[in-house]
Parts: sequence; C-alpha cells; structure tokens
Amino acid sequence: MSTKRTISIGLAGNPNTGKTTLFNAITGLHQKTGNYPGVTVEKKEGRRIYSGVEFIVYDLPGTYSLTAYSMDEIVTRDFILEDKPDVIIDTLDSTNPERNLYLCLQFQELGIPVIGALNITDQAEKMGIYIDENRLSGLLGIPMIKTVGANGSGIEKLLDAVIQIVDSRKTPRRSIFYGNEMETEVSKLISVIESDQIFSKKYPPRWLAIKLLEKDINANQKISAHKENCAIIKQTRESIDFIESHFGADSEVVVSEQRYAYIHGAAAESVRKNTGGNINLSERADIILLNRIIGLPIFLFILWSIFNLTFKLGEYPMGWLESFFTTLASFLSGYLQDGLLKSFVIDGIIGGVGGVFSFVPLIIILFLCISILEDTGYMARAAFIMDKFLHIFGLHGQSFLPMMVGFGCSVPAIMAARTLKNPIDRIITIIVIPFMSCGAKLPVYILLAGAFFPQNSANMVMLIYLIGVTMALLSAILLRKTILKGDPAPFVMELPPYRMPTLRGILWHVTDKTGCYIKKAGTILLAASILIWAMVSFPKPPEDIVNEISKTEIRIVDNVAQAEKELSYSIAGKLGRLIEPAVKPLGFNWKTGIAAITGLAAKEAVVSTLGVLYKVGNEENEESASLREALKNDGGFSPLVAFVLMLFTLIVPPCLAALSTIKAELGWKWLGFTTIYLLTLGWIVCFAVYQIGKLSWPGI
Amino acid sequence: MNILNLNRGASFKVKRVTLPRETGKRLADMGFTSGTEGVIVRSALLGDPIQIKILGYNISIRKSEAAGIIVEIPPEEKNPPRGEDI
Ligand SMILES: Nc1nc2c(ncn2[C@@H]2O[C@H](COP(=O)(O)OP(=O)(O)OP(=O)(O)O)[C@@H](O)[C@H]2O)c(=O)[nH]1
Ligand SMILES: [Mg+2]
Repeated sequence: MSTKRTISIGLAGNPNTGKTTLFNAITGLHQKTGNYPGVTVEKKEGRRIYSGVEFIVYDLPGTYSLTAYSMDEIVTRDFILEDKPDVIIDTLDSTNPERNLYLCLQFQELGIPVIGALNITDQAEKMGIYIDENRLSGLLGIPMIKTVGANGSGIEKLLDAVIQIVDSRKTPRRSIFYGNEMETEVSKLISVIESDQIFSKKYPPRWLAIKLLEKDINANQKISAHKENCAIIKQTRESIDFIESHFGADSEVVVSEQRYAYIHGAAAESVRKNTGGNINLSERADIILLNRIIGLPIFLFILWSIFNLTFKLGEYPMGWLESFFTTLASFLSGYLQDGLLKSFVIDGIIGGVGGVFSFVPLIIILFLCISILEDTGYMARAAFIMDKFLHIFGLHGQSFLPMMVGFGCSVPAIMAARTLKNPIDRIITIIVIPFMSCGAKLPVYILLAGAFFPQNSANMVMLIYLIGVTMALLSAILLRKTILKGDPAPFVMELPPYRMPTLRGILWHVTDKTGCYIKKAGTILLAASILIWAMVSFPKPPEDIVNEISKTEIRIVDNVAQAEKELSYSIAGKLGRLIEPAVKPLGFNWKTGIAAITGLAAKEAVVSTLGVLYKVGNEENEESASLREALKNDGGFSPLVAFVLMLFTLIVPPCLAALSTIKAELGWKWLGFTTIYLLTLGWIVCFAVYQIGKLSWPGI
Repeated sequence: MNILNLNRGASFKVKRVTLPRETGKRLADMGFTSGTEGVIVRSALLGDPIQIKILGYNISIRKSEAAGIIVEIPPEEKNPPRGEDI
C-alpha cells in the first residue's frame, strides 16, 4: 500500500443542523445529538478511511456567525482560524437555506476550501422546499451535496467532493459582492493590509478587512497586538465612518445586510418554496403546546408524568430485582460457612452493590423520558414557556436547558452551560445545577421514601425534587443580588421544528447512560462497598471482650446490640465516633453519618453504604427481606431522620465527577465556593429541619 | 413602529435594529436585516418572550429586545389580520 493520505475536515454550521448526526454517520461513533440548539459544546475528533484516504473529522459546536459570542462558539471559531482544517464541511439545514448560507459565505471568505452539505433534505422536501444544488453551487462557487444525516445518504458523495477539492488545490476564489460602496472601502483596507508583510501572511486580507468593518473584537485585538498598526487603524476608522454616514446604519449591520442581500439573490434563483402558506404539523402542535394559557399546565403535566412513569412503572422490575438479590443472598448463605467469606459476599458485595443494581430499571425509564424530550424538540419549547418565570430569579431560558439535563446527570449539564454567552449567567447556572436531583440521587430518595413513607412515597420523592428546584431558584437570585451582580444576557433562541425521535438514537442514548450507571455500580461503588465492609469488619474486638460480651449480655440483650458492640471496635466504628459530633445535630447516628458522607463520592454510595452497614453482623436480618426492612427496624432511623437524609443527599456537594467538571469549567475558585456553599447550606437546612421537626412532632 | 406595536399574527418588514452592539449584531446575523419579512407567531404567558417567524424559522426573543426591532407593515398587508394583542 502506498503511504496513507490524511485530510482533516472541520464539521461546522449553524446549531442544530445535524453536524453531529453527520459526524456519527461518517465516523461510526456515537456522539450525543438532540433536537435543540447547542447540544455539542466541545470539539470531538473521529476518523474514517475511505478511498484510501484517512479522514480526520472534527465535530464542532454550532454557530450562527464567525463573530463568536459564547464559549462554545469560540471553540469553533478558534479551531477554524487557528488550526485551519484542510476542508470545512458546512452543514446546512435545507429547511432554512438563507440563514444557513450566511455562515457558509463567511467560511468562503476565510479562504479555506468549503463544501456545503445540504442536510435534512428529507424534511425540507416534505415541507415543499426544493433546492437546485447544482445551480446554487454554480452561483456561490461552493460545491453543494444533498445529505440526510439520519440514514447516511450522501455521505460518500460528500467525501468524494472533499477529495476532489483537495486534489484540485482550489481555494475559493469567488466571494460575496458587498455592493459598490462597500467594495471600494474593502479594497482600500485590503491594500493597506497587504502592504504589511506580517499580517497579509497570517490572515486572508479580504477576510480581515471585512472583520474590521464588522468591528469584530477578535480582529481588533489582533490589530492592536501588532506594533505597526497605525495605517490599518486609521483606514479602518475612515472606512467605517464613510459606510455609516452613507448607509445611515452601523457598519457591522451593513455588512450583515449586504450578505443577506447577496444570499436572497442566490436563493431566489435556486430555491423553490412550495409551502403553500398552510401551517405545517410542527406549527400546529405548537398551537396547543405553546398556548399561552394551557402551555404551562401541559409542561408541568409532562414533568409530573415522567416522574410518575419512572416511579410507578419502575417499581415492578425494581421489586423483581430486589427479590432476586434477596434470594441470591439466602441461596448463597446456605452454601457458605459462617465467617468472613460469607459476610464479605453477602453483606459487602450483595448488600452494597445489589441495592444499587435494583434501581437500573428506574434509571432506564428516566433517561428514556429525558431523551424523548430532547429529541422531539420540546426542550426548547419548555425554555420558551419558562423564560419569564426564570427571569424573575435572575436566570433565563437558556439556563433552563442545562438545568433540565441536570435531572439526568450533572456532568453533561454543567458542560451544557457553555451555551450561555454571559460568564455571570454561566457561573450562576453551574452553581445551581447540583440542586436538580440527578439520576443517582433517585435511588437514595426511593429507598428512604419507600421505607419510611410507604403510603406517600411518590409524593415524598416529588417533594424533594421540588425542594431542589426551589433552592436552585432561590440560590440563583441570592447570587445575582450579592456576589454575581449584573443583568442576564438577552435571550435569543431558535425554536427548532419538532422531529420524530429515531429509535436508534433513543436506544443508543439510553444504553449509554444506563451503561454508565451499571459501570459505576460495578467499579466505584463495588470498591467503596468492599472498603466500607472491611472498615466495618476489622479489627475484630479482642477475644476476651467477645467472650465477656456473650457471657454477660447475651441473655439480657438481643444480638443486634451485641453486633453494635462489636462494630464499635472496627475502623468504621471509630471513624463514626469521630464524625458523630458533626452529624448528630442532624439526627444521624454514626452509621447514617458515614453513609451520608460517602455520598460525596457518588450519590448511589449512600444506598450501598447503608446496605453494608445495616446488614453486617445483623444476623437476624440476614435472611429477611430488603435493606428497606433493615432500615425500618433500626432504632437509629425514623421518618424524620430519613427525610433529613434525603435533604442532605440533595443539597451537599455533588459527586466527585460533577465537582471535577466544575473545576474544569470554572476553576478552583468557583469549585471551592460551590463546595463550601453547598456544604454549609446543606448542614444548616438539615439541622433546622431536624431540630424543628423533633420539637414539633416528638413522636417521629 | 417596533414589533411590540403589532398584533399576534401580523406580518412585518424589518427596517432596522436599534439595540446595543452585541445583541443588534446577533439579530442581524440571524436574519433581522432591513427588508426581511417576518410574522409574529405568539407570545408566552405574560406576553414575554415572543415567538417570531423569520426566514422560515422560528425564534424566541424577549420583549426588551423586540422593542428595538423597528419595522413597517409590508405593502400587501395594509390590513393586518386581526388577532389578539400579543
Ligand atoms: N429529518 C432529519 N433530521 C435530522 C437529519 N440530520 C439530523 N437530524 C436531526 O436534527 C437534530 C439535530 O441534530 P444534531 O446532529 O444534534 O445537530 P448538531 O448540528 O450537531 O447540533 P448542535 O450540536 O446543537 O449544534 C437531531 O434531532 C437529529 O436527529 C436529517 O438529515 N433529517
Ligand atoms: Mg452537535
């Protein structure tokens, strides 16, 4: 074989045009897609070998313009300007050619070879929008290929076009004609730029000239960083002044206008719209779903339904899994001899991890619902409905999307906050995301609610979710009024048309998320359970004490108390006593305290630790039903304590994975702030609830 | 006349956008340039934000920004369809 050629491709385009779908189709990977703008927030790399060429493909966040506003858009812009891929594939949404071409023409201006992928052709043709791609391509001087990302059609043509454009070594020659007046100013600027050796080598002069007329901050920074910049700055000012007085508008707006004028011209000749003025299905759905009066109740009903579906439907398979693990435990205990090995297998492994595994069905249902919301396009509607309300609390519609994602898992939610333009909005959103109860907190709530509030368990869990949301809102306004002052950025968001979720997309999403949960249970939580088991089991009390205990007390006290006594010699017991002063005011005994604290590593660890702690040495309960029963029968627990433990799990800092994401996104300072804020708040709230509860209802 | 003066369902033609630089340019990038036509689709509860259809796609903007979008009524529609106030 000959030496392999490689071609790097940047997949860019407007948000929500199917870049990631195309990326997945080209590379065979499974990056996350969803029907709302801003799903991809960081650059992702993939490879594909085709026709003897290795393609290195980069999936980029969507952007409306190369004048970047938000963090995710800056990623795209920097990649294209600094890393210069060999070719850009601009993914265009064919249902909306004009706005999509606006960005495409800016790529052309950059002088990097561009190919347009006219994606979502299927939907466009259903809507009666036909694009003559040869005509369009002839008009703009950009190859245009029709594609359907969902079924991969057009992908090979696209790659052929990439090879062809690289082989022909053609950098785009044509570019937009901005009208006589502007072109004169552009030429003047170009000649000044070209007389500067350094600049004209580094950046395409025509592109730089236009960016200067657009008052682009980044371009201006480049100029001011350069020493001999007087001539360029002077010419820029003169040209802008001329344009503004001639057109009577800001020059950056004039640039946009001329671009759109050029596009409207090209579209008039190559796009045929046969929409017939009738409202399409998506718009008809919105008449109901976005209705002023019933829109909000519908949204709340959808949330309530998701919640109930997860809880009520999930209960059955969860019960089966629970009894499976109980049966397994009693089956094994029949075979294993009393002693360390038996305790290790039954208390350490099954007691700890089995409890967490039982929740897999719930997790599947929860993620199924979330991904249906994401893929249909309803998420963006919910942001529209909720914007005004969130605004009152200093958040806005765009914060809403990451917060909803937070009901699944905080890690992607924190990253999704990159779509917020204003850094203050972004920091506030990230700090409050942990209040959105993630999928890992759900098992803790369900275990405790099921054990102590059997009549109202669903309502109890719902209450905790609502408390979380309320705290998120109150914290947001508190932060906005104190340390993070400033107005939220304007809320400008595209509402994509509804789309039928693909079965493949949903299944992939759910298996991915569930796989993560199972993997965590099988690794981190297993390790944690074993560690806790070892801490509970060692060291054993000295022989003479054991004898003494059994001699003097066995008749008087039941063997639960004996186990307690033995436990107090173990590492866990000693550690427990160490932390007891901190958790006692919250109503936790040392065992519950340890469980609550392991939740800092991973929220499900609360369940697995309780599983180990409340089963070890508890001979009587070994064959009895579940952890639920074990907790109910324990003197250290009461409905009030259970409620406080749920609150504690809700509020105190999220798991390590989420914390390290906060560190990566915002740095040490905000990580430290978030951790201290959540710890303090969690402790105070739990303290207050427990103490008030104890005084008001001494019985519980 | 700006967008807030129009009724739900009314068509408009953009004249210019008078908003702070960043937002103004963003709206221009998204198609709010002079001569472009659009329709007011609806508003959310309490009248804010507003959904507008422009260049064949739907966009949500707040009242505070909508007030800066100066428009006129396109000639063929001197009698805008009667709708509720937005
Ligand atoms: N009908 C149809 N839908 C498509 C097509 N390609 C993508 N989609 C859908 O369009 C939506 C957006 O796709 P993504 O691949 O996430 O879009 P993106 O451009 O990566 O979006 P961002 O990362 O948010 O910028 C998803 O719901 C896809 O299922 C297509 O060719 N036809
Ligand atoms: Mg994407």
